[in-house]
Amino acid sequence: MAFSPEQAECLRRARGLAPDALGLGLRVPHYEYVLEHAPQVDYFEVISENFFGPAPTPRARLERVRARYPVVLHGVGLNLLGHAPLDNRYLDALARLADAVDAPFVSDHLCWTGAHGVSHHDLLPTPYVPELVELAAERAHEVQRRLGRPFAIENLSSYVEFRASTLSEWEFYAAVVRESGCWSLFDINNVYVSSQNHGFDADVYLAAIDYSRVLEVHLAGHTREQDGTLVDTHDHPVANSVWALYARAWRMGGPFPTMLEWDARIPPLPEVLAELEKAREARQ
Amino acid sequence: MSRSAPGWLADFQARFGNMLRTPLDRASGTLTAATAAYDPQLCAEALDRPLSCAAERLAVYNRQYWFRLFSVLHAGFPLTARLMGYWELNAVAANYLLAHPPGGWDIEQIADGFRPFFQGALDESAPDWRLALLESVRIDAAYREVFRAECLPPFRPLASDAADLLSGQLVPLPALRIVEEHRALLALRTALLADPSIATAELPPLLVRPQAWAIVRRESGTVRIPIEAREAELLTLLGRHSVGDALGRLESSCTAEERADLPDQVRAWLARSIELGFWCSLRRDG
Repeated sequence: MAFSPEQAECLRRARGLAPDALGLGLRVPHYEYVLEHAPQVDYFEVISENFFGPAPTPRARLERVRARYPVVLHGVGLNLLGHAPLDNRYLDALARLADAVDAPFVSDHLCWTGAHGVSHHDLLPTPYVPELVELAAERAHEVQRRLGRPFAIENLSSYVEFRASTLSEWEFYAAVVRESGCWSLFDINNVYVSSQNHGFDADVYLAAIDYSRVLEVHLAGHTREQDGTLVDTHDHPVANSVWALYARAWRMGGPFPTMLEWDARIPPLPEVLAELEKAREARQ
Repeated sequence: MSRSAPGWLADFQARFGNMLRTPLDRASGTLTAATAAYDPQLCAEALDRPLSCAAERLAVYNRQYWFRLFSVLHAGFPLTARLMGYWELNAVAANYLLAHPPGGWDIEQIADGFRPFFQGALDESAPDWRLALLESVRIDAAYREVFRAECLPPFRPLASDAADLLSGQLVPLPALRIVEEHRALLALRTALLADPSIATAELPPLLVRPQAWAIVRRESGTVRIPIEAREAELLTLLGRHSVGDALGRLESSCTAEERADLPDQVRAWLARSIELGFWCSLRRDG
């Protein structure tokens, strides 16, 4: 695929990370260990919104981490598919933070997070229809333009599908990435969770991805509820079936930077790093 | 950004949002999704699956909404949550969140108005228990406010400030709160934070006399500093009045016996408060 000069510049900056870099989602219980022991990690990813607030301590910690490691930003509140226009104050705060840490790229989800003045603080699905491809693509393009750095869109894990959908999830996601001129943050655990919840073939999803636009792959653990629904809880090691899917994605489109998220019941950092190291085995 | 979202999206998201905010049912003794209360139109829009119907799929989001917000309040008010018990706190929290749904991208903001709501929601039939919980929620709120406060350098007076000191007003550091406890609640809070496995805590016995504390954030973390009752009163007065006025008010509230030592004590307390960095500036505008 030929990129425009603007896209090529974005890619060059994002690829400031090694193409096979291994990164970790940095969470509060690990700051002390990271600052004291400087573990071998290629980069850290942080939740953008955790550093927008007034509390100075998180920002001070982040600056100390950034002095040693590249830091990429991952958002959960952009509200790309909300009915209301994007929040300019949010975008300004995001741009300031991205500039402050010189993030190789910034990412958020293909979802909505709030409506009618209420923020639901969750990553919520919509029907998958062409009308929303156009809406999300135009907004994502604008986000990337305002940030002045690569913006990657993450595929969602979901627990419900809607009758109104005329596109499959992977058709919807791939179209938004393609038409926005932005990039892909491809979450393989999310593919697995959604495939189990909705009964589709995860390999069909893998085959629909344009790997030349993947800036990062996410991995995480999930939980199976009593009724069989898989929930994207990020509170377990990565499931074997997800590692297998990762290995197939790597063969199809690797190398790509890979990042492990562990957000609840967080074990000590050496244990999380050991889980991340499994990615090397999966790539063989 | 010129493109507007289609009209149906706003309607769809209104229905979905109402489903998310449907209160969880407490009747069974566990928090369960009240799927029968969901909008039938929304349920009809979602697909059934062999193992679970559309409403049960939607319930995943409904539960996540509430548990995520509860967890923010549990983290923001850890002492109160453990004293009261998560189950009881969640009942107050649910009413609070229904009245004050989250409005911004900072999820921590949802806790901003919880203390006054909680104070108004407490059962008045057990006064001792109520007073202990009021004190607990004040202490939790103080720690939370100190953590989120703006970072300003402490006021270090120069010789030239001396002339304005009595008429000026010392401005408290944003990351400073003065609290008083009648039971050893601050120590209990520290112990609970060190051991997240403790789900409930017993109320400590009444202290022989109340203890005042300054809670202040340092670069190395938040610390608590024991202070005397009159010292706490002085610090509170100084934060509200000019130094001269505060000293006058303190003196008038003291007994004759206390007044004998007051000048020396006030000098020592003032010097200590400046040394500990409790103030960020001296306001001279009256």
